[in-house]
Amino acid sequence: MSYQIISIAGLLYILSMPVYIIYILTKNKKLGFVATGILCSGALIHIYGFIQRFKEMYSINYSIMRSIPITNLYESLVFFVMCIILGYLFIEWKYKNKSFGVFISILAGITIGITDLLGITKEVQPLVPALKSNWLLAHVTLSFIAYAAFAISFITALLHVIMGSANKRSFKYIFSTFLLGLMVFMFISVILDILTGVNPKSVKIFHSTLLNSSVILSIFSWILLTALIFLFWKFGDGIIKILQNFKITSDFLEDITYKVIAFGFPIFTIGGLVFGAIWADQAWGRYWGWDPKETWSLITWFVYAFYLHAKFIRGWKGTKTSMIAVIGFLVTIFTYLGVNLFLSGLHSYGSM
Amino acid sequence: MGKFNKWNDRVWNFFASVDLAVALFIIISIGAAIGTVIPQSIEPEPVIRFFSKFMSVSSAHKTYEIVSLFDLNNVYHSWWFTFLLFMFALNLIVCSIDRLPSLLKSFKTSTKPYPPEIFEKMPIKKTIEINNDKILEKVKEVLKKKGFLTHLFETSEGVQIQARKWSKTRLAVYLTHLSILIILSGALIGTFFGFRGSMNIVEGTGLNFAISDEGKAIPLGFEVRCDKFEVEYYENSGMPKAYRSYLRIIENDQIVKENIVIEVNQPFTYKGITFYQASYGFQPTEHAEFRFTYVDKTGKQYDINALFEEKFKIPGTSVTAYVIDFSPALGVDEEGRLFNMSTDMINPAVLVVFEEKGNKTQQWILSKIPETWETPYGKLRFNELWGVQFTGLQVRQDPGVPLIYVGSILMCIGLFICLFLRPLNYFITANKNKVTFYSQSAKGIIEKQIDEIIKEMKGDKA
Repeated sequence: MSYQIISIAGLLYILSMPVYIIYILTKNKKLGFVATGILCSGALIHIYGFIQRFKEMYSINYSIMRSIPITNLYESLVFFVMCIILGYLFIEWKYKNKSFGVFISILAGITIGITDLLGITKEVQPLVPALKSNWLLAHVTLSFIAYAAFAISFITALLHVIMGSANKRSFKYIFSTFLLGLMVFMFISVILDILTGVNPKSVKIFHSTLLNSSVILSIFSWILLTALIFLFWKFGDGIIKILQNFKITSDFLEDITYKVIAFGFPIFTIGGLVFGAIWADQAWGRYWGWDPKETWSLITWFVYAFYLHAKFIRGWKGTKTSMIAVIGFLVTIFTYLGVNLFLSGLHSYGSM
Repeated sequence: MGKFNKWNDRVWNFFASVDLAVALFIIISIGAAIGTVIPQSIEPEPVIRFFSKFMSVSSAHKTYEIVSLFDLNNVYHSWWFTFLLFMFALNLIVCSIDRLPSLLKSFKTSTKPYPPEIFEKMPIKKTIEINNDKILEKVKEVLKKKGFLTHLFETSEGVQIQARKWSKTRLAVYLTHLSILIILSGALIGTFFGFRGSMNIVEGTGLNFAISDEGKAIPLGFEVRCDKFEVEYYENSGMPKAYRSYLRIIENDQIVKENIVIEVNQPFTYKGITFYQASYGFQPTEHAEFRFTYVDKTGKQYDINALFEEKFKIPGTSVTAYVIDFSPALGVDEEGRLFNMSTDMINPAVLVVFEEKGNKTQQWILSKIPETWETPYGKLRFNELWGVQFTGLQVRQDPGVPLIYVGSILMCIGLFICLFLRPLNYFITANKNKVTFYSQSAKGIIEKQIDEIIKEMKGDKA
């Protein structure tokens, strides 16, 4: 089954993370190639799994345009990770620079990992009537490509803020190191959750750590989380500055952040908002209806529009603009997952 | 008068500022986000129920009063949200009027030579030394070939060339902003000259009005009849695969259109009013009809339609039959008892009583299971129960939609030009054998282009 193949890809993404770390610490070029190799083979297996899933979808839907496997939450998360990895590999190849791979592998690991922990179905499902449209391909794929671009810009922007902040007491530094600590903790917790999950149907996110049934382990996890965040706050700038040995400068991060957003924003506008509006016009009889998903997409669009205006017109430079990119991705996550988990609306295909 | 002008300027500058745009981005976002959390309902109950999850019922009632005072239960149609959108449009217009003329002017007027100090501060600087008298011609030729517009100045330090390309792409920002205004005006036209509503039409009946979201009847000027409604299910599951309505339009007692089929994602438009398949439901009516096909022993087929408990003859026999029970989704529970699984027509079944000379037998006939069609008196296939489902249609008339499409297309074009075709500017100074390239922007493409130009010049020489 396709989801087993995709799980192997996820395992490889998780594996590449420690290799990237050792590469950065030892500066051993061979290890760098190994890390990229693991990530690449993960991506190839992932693409193979994606094609298998496509075939499985085709065997029930009999339509090429409507068999792209992005029709439920699991499939969309898988596609999202695939776009992040391919996008990152492209950047790594283009700029011959492989050191923010650690954080990409963390993000990919968490995302593939939580598909096991949210209790969502991994089975191939037939299409509901509302999704039977050729706009499915255009609207959904482009939206997730844009989300993936925003995810990559989030990583570079986060590193840029941490690297570029002179003052450890400034809000943006505290906030960014907090997010980084949280990400690393989630990465560890997701791995533990999956390893200790006996019955795959009842496992929940954080069940082995923060929400552990044993009070001692739970308290210990909270302490560990706090300690991790504190460590990142205390030594974050130092850790990130190691990256400067790898030509990852503040300017490079700022430039990549901008380029990825400049790529993602028009795709989001066309695929997410415009194609979404056209499809809604045909399927629901209105192009815009303030459905929670629509509203939050507009908010996401506003945040990135703000980023571009700040960049071009106000001449904001440095960490301030990158901070907008960080917040932009948090809003994107809410648009993507939060709306489906907490709010109800017409876009319920992605719910659990 | 002077004071008036000063105020005028202030108001103008306020609306022309990017700060206002940013403030509006933030306030509109927060307002819109509130609307996704608080239930958007004109009825008080859902709102109070929502707040009573977090507080006592009495404080939920008080909170509702505050909520309704600020229209937080109807954010997107509230006066303040409309006002914010209006401010946003005004901001865009004033910004454009404020900046566009100076940009247009910059395309026309020839620039003045810059003092060399400015160049020295630029982030990109590349020098080549070539012994060639015609070096200047060469530079101009290469630039022209690459599509640059050049201005040449003789200065005391040597020759200065200003080269620019794609500078008109700066207009794309205004195209993008214009597209937003077009979309907003399309939305405005839709609200004033269009309507939205819904209709639930039971199979076999018709309606000549729609119900608006506020509960008012909107006359359509013609009647929409639903001849038939059907749902297709995926095999062995209650998951709908497709549902469709067969409609006809009747205007002035005449049929104007027949056999219209609409499905989800396949609407139909008549006289500017569009009908969308939105939902369906179960609603028993008096005209509901059980439709059977009887096949006698010679293979001849007869269509039989009967009402509930209405007796009908089985052709060619002396048997009368009638329906005494119906189930839209017949299932069998663990103890072998029959039960109804849902009100959706997943597996319609009828209980038919056959009467022959006072002898009564009864049998369940399931429309999807051919084995149950066989009766002692021949094959009786149950086709459907017609007239117990209604089709839920969304109805809309919106003359603003073409503007929305135009605006959307312009926005895409504008954004792509803005973000991918950035203007390129070079400054070149030529002094004896030394040619130096400068550029203000630190973008990679420019550096690469300069390298290319230099290579081309050197290559030509060799």
